[in-house]
Amino acid sequence: MSRKVSNYVQIEGNLRWESIWYLAKRELLAFVRNKGRIVSSIAQSILFLFVFGAGFSQLPITIDGISISSTAFVASGIAAMAVLFSGVFGGLGIIRDKLFGFMKELLVAPVSRRTLMIGKTLGVALQTLVQFMIITVLSAVIGFYGYDLSLIWRILATIPVGLLFSLGVVGIGMTISTRLTDFQSFGLIQTFLIMPMFWLSGALFAFNTVPLPMQVIMMINPISYGVDIFRFILLGVSFFPFWLDLTILAVFGALLISLGAYSFSNMEI
Amino acid sequence: MSDNIIEVKNLTKIYEEGKVLAVDDISFNIKKGEIFALLGPNGAGKTTTISMLATLLRATGGNAIVNSHKIDEEPDMIRKSIGVVFQEPSLDGDMTGWENLELHAVLYGMERSKRRERINEVLELVNLEDKSDMYVKNYSGGMKRRLEIARGLIHTPQVLFLDEPTLGLDPQTRRKIWEKIKELNSGDLNMTILITTHYMEEADELADRICIMDHGKIIALDTSENLKKELSGDIIELELEEVKDFSKIPNLIAQLKQINGVKEITMGTKHDKDRTSSEMFKPPPGMKGINPEVMRRKINEVLSDPKKFLQAIKKFPRTGQFFLNAPYQVKEKVARMYKESELVDDLPPKIKEIIQKINNGEYKKEEEIKEPSLTISCEDGGKLISEIIQMVNQFNSVKIKTIHMHSPTLEDVFLFYTGSQIREESSSRMEGIKKHIQMRQLKQK
Repeated sequence: MSRKVSNYVQIEGNLRWESIWYLAKRELLAFVRNKGRIVSSIAQSILFLFVFGAGFSQLPITIDGISISSTAFVASGIAAMAVLFSGVFGGLGIIRDKLFGFMKELLVAPVSRRTLMIGKTLGVALQTLVQFMIITVLSAVIGFYGYDLSLIWRILATIPVGLLFSLGVVGIGMTISTRLTDFQSFGLIQTFLIMPMFWLSGALFAFNTVPLPMQVIMMINPISYGVDIFRFILLGVSFFPFWLDLTILAVFGALLISLGAYSFSNMEI
Repeated sequence: MSDNIIEVKNLTKIYEEGKVLAVDDISFNIKKGEIFALLGPNGAGKTTTISMLATLLRATGGNAIVNSHKIDEEPDMIRKSIGVVFQEPSLDGDMTGWENLELHAVLYGMERSKRRERINEVLELVNLEDKSDMYVKNYSGGMKRRLEIARGLIHTPQVLFLDEPTLGLDPQTRRKIWEKIKELNSGDLNMTILITTHYMEEADELADRICIMDHGKIIALDTSENLKKELSGDIIELELEEVKDFSKIPNLIAQLKQINGVKEITMGTKHDKDRTSSEMFKPPPGMKGINPEVMRRKINEVLSDPKKFLQAIKKFPRTGQFFLNAPYQVKEKVARMYKESELVDDLPPKIKEIIQKINNGEYKKEEEIKEPSLTISCEDGGKLISEIIQMVNQFNSVKIKTIHMHSPTLEDVFLFYTGSQIREESSSRMEGIKKHIQMRQLKQK
């Protein structure tokens, strides 16, 4: 008796792929059409690239005895940052649909909530991936990674892992936003969730240069593995083994997507 | 198969969190091809009812059949066979009109080949075919509403739910939407339409049958004609002048009810906001010599200075009486005047109490019924009117201000059933609901 029963009727049923694709397309279109958002996200990343890449440290960073340029090190971290920021905020975008009423139209449609949730998550993840690619290509063109023909293949190889990483990050935003009812909490989320996750991910400093307690925290932070896997692919060096990065990102993604789907099914508007 | 497209049996909805009984055990049927209007004051349970029938909300008790599917068993089948236009806007402003409709068609499982044609059809139906490439955020209110109706029609539903479709639209647009609704209901489409509205003329114009809800219950259900017939005869509205002794009014009503042919009397009040305190003043009978102009100026003076008010009260005890009988606006003005002043302690205790109540926000405006109006429904107004006037004149302190007679409109029917008080969630009502829920829970045990 004590089980909380949702007020809303749910449609049981399988995923409907065409609906998922159209919902995802809606997110992508919204992204492409909102010029301000694209410009601001790129500008923010470029600012970080120059401030941290150029000003932070000119000393080469040594990992496993291999010395790499600090600009390349930071550039790959900033790419991961782009995924984190745009993924979480993209996931939080559900609030917009809730507040402007469009969510009602979606909820009354004869499709399961899982379909709606996955469509939305996929859309935001793809949109995040696009931003990630823009940053990565831009840093490559500027020359942060050095000029090398194999870079093209390495950048292409980041696409699948970038998508995997994005899905988990979008899941965070989705899970939170199903509980929110206004835009006021965005600042809190920025300060207490996104920023700590970013600073404690090793995006800007090397894992082996910080004290042990901080290393432990970084090992708990799933974002660290996203940063690490990008470094592995783009620079060829990493702190953790590739298989560990990949496993943790896959588990993280699956967990957060399930959590997001669960919260979405219990969402009240 | 019966010709009912919607059958509602003992449908109940309790919002557990708020302990609100939103819909209380209602039953009704809607015939195929009918326009059915749900009327009711704010918070009567109309939207909750529609949400349950549209399978958006889960019913707490009872059941309903829509298009021969039960709402709790086959929600997806029902959703495919109904169109819903919500009370609040539910379009995506960042997509074009076309894209909004396309997404809807996809979600409702429409085949790719049929989509384009169907979207064009519904756009034409609401005359938006040349606006379909615009972003919805640039649409006007009426265009948005029309697009929402079009969207509700894409999957060719058999029933259309319209939750206050013309809310906040100008008269021209409303008329256009009425036309569309009639068009959908007639001819080959013959769509069944369930509409909620606050506009009586809208229900009168469109609906085949009207259902009046209040406090989650159905209190009247019939055609507009029959509902008006029930209030047959005429409506006499008596507006009374300021009543000094309010306790006489129930007595008056009781006596008026004795008159042969009088069916029902309801009482409401008219608060005139525009009138200022000094204009309220009329020389009392028996003091004809007073120049009202001078008197008004004096009153204004007294009402703007706490000291003068105090003096006036000490000199003329009548001033205190005047204050007690004054409308709320005047009392509030006086209360504000004494907010910062210590002179409040020198006032007579009764006045002091009222002023403190107002300043603490505890004063209830309901205590403030000074100019009641009586709505009397009767068989033959022409014959009775003189008798009614005589009866009222027997009461010394009650004076008729205006008298007005007309045959009943749907609005009269509505007010007759739901009362003319303004609806706010008053504490007493919440108490009633809480008790009701507790009773129910006891019964279930």
